[in-house]
Amino acid sequence: MTNNPVVKGKLVCVALNDSKQFDAMQDAFNNAPYKSAPTQPVLYFKPHNTWSVDGAEVEWAITDGQPAQSMVVGASFAVVFDRECCRVSEEQALESVGGYALVHDFSLPEVSYYRPDIKGKCLDGSAPISAAVVVSAVTDPQALSVITQVNGETVSEMPLSQMVRSVAQLISTISYIMTLQAGDVIAIGFPGERASIEQGDSVSSAIAGVTQLNNTVGRA
Amino acid sequence: MKHARVLFKGLELDVTVEESFATTGLLKSKSDGQLIDQAEVTWLSPVKDPGTIFALGLNYADHARELAFEPPKEPLVFLKGANTLTGHKQNAYRPDNIKFQHYECELVAVIGKEGKNISRENAMDHIAGYTLCNDFAIRDYLENYYRPNLRVKSRDSLLPMGPWIIDKDDVGDISNLRVTTHVNGELTQDGNTADIIFDVPFLVEYLSKIMTLKPGDMIATGTPEGLKDMQPGDKVVCEIEKIGALETHIVSEREFYADKY
Repeated sequence: MTNNPVVKGKLVCVALNDSKQFDAMQDAFNNAPYKSAPTQPVLYFKPHNTWSVDGAEVEWAITDGQPAQSMVVGASFAVVFDRECCRVSEEQALESVGGYALVHDFSLPEVSYYRPDIKGKCLDGSAPISAAVVVSAVTDPQALSVITQVNGETVSEMPLSQMVRSVAQLISTISYIMTLQAGDVIAIGFPGERASIEQGDSVSSAIAGVTQLNNTVGRA
Repeated sequence: MKHARVLFKGLELDVTVEESFATTGLLKSKSDGQLIDQAEVTWLSPVKDPGTIFALGLNYADHARELAFEPPKEPLVFLKGANTLTGHKQNAYRPDNIKFQHYECELVAVIGKEGKNISRENAMDHIAGYTLCNDFAIRDYLENYYRPNLRVKSRDSLLPMGPWIIDKDDVGDISNLRVTTHVNGELTQDGNTADIIFDVPFLVEYLSKIMTLKPGDMIATGTPEGLKDMQPGDKVVCEIEKIGALETHIVSEREFYADKY
């Protein structure tokens, strides 16, 4: 477990924000246990024991005393706040963002979105966060794309334009639920199809010309 | 010993609560020993550097029945952001245009020592003390995704906590404590920690198998039956035997956010 210099307060992640996944899940949404599609962003926290850094090795999960059968990873574009953000409009949303970063969310496979996934998502060191780049280095975040490679092979490419909700929309909506503070981070959206990983894999994500994040997967 | 955090003349102070508090209202500054009248302070939530806030859903046998749920076979744990925290005698808000907001009076165990894979037998070594919280919920906002979702449970001011942390050894057995809530003086919730399904040692063992627990992490252990809607102007007092009584004033969204509304 490593302290991360970027995130100080809370790391909020947005699930089900890949429109391909969202569209593909419509039938599932209409059945038990969900019963209807989400009307609001689906959010979860990665708590402070999960925060880690670029270059860190991520522990292989142990479940019920045994090495987990499988783990997955997703990468997300993230916004880092440098001042308080409370009840802002979409137009004002980016004013309190000081930097952009990448977040890796290592977890057990996402088998259900019904209950908070503490077992899957709260593993020590499972949320490495890259160095933040200043906002002025990027003209339009919606035009960016996040590419993830496992052992050098591309496993996902997620253009931010493919998200159900935009960066500004999410910041605005979340800022009406919870006041965001300097050092809070929102991971805006992950590819719906998380990449399977094996022990010993190397996982690298990049936003071309902006930032990158490299981690390795430990052995149980 | 009871430990609190207060604002006094613009300064954040760590204080202890005097033995005579019930009659004198006196607090003592930890830094210089100055005695302070509680009438002159603003109470802050008692955990100085809040870590992960765990909360339990459906963890009282009677409350699970009230909500027409089978008691869970595994704890229903969710996380809350530190933005939800506020102190004793502070405001909490009712969002505009909702139908049902209720209190939840809960015993909170505060972690005092880091640990992973802590056994049930050793669990209490990792607890510093206890406080209580009012884990408000906005039922209108429930959706079946990571339920109870953050929109229901991670709103500003909707986790009043305090007034203080009381040392573990000053409480002793926590398995038979009366848990009550009064709204505007009327008793609306009356349970007992004896009805807790997954107790504190179980939860410490369960959570620390998944993740490292650290000082400043908190486990809110769920609430008994007796839910009631809240309105601006209501005064809610949650009380747990041997721990303390936590008072909260409900205000409108407009009043709470004032110029940010």
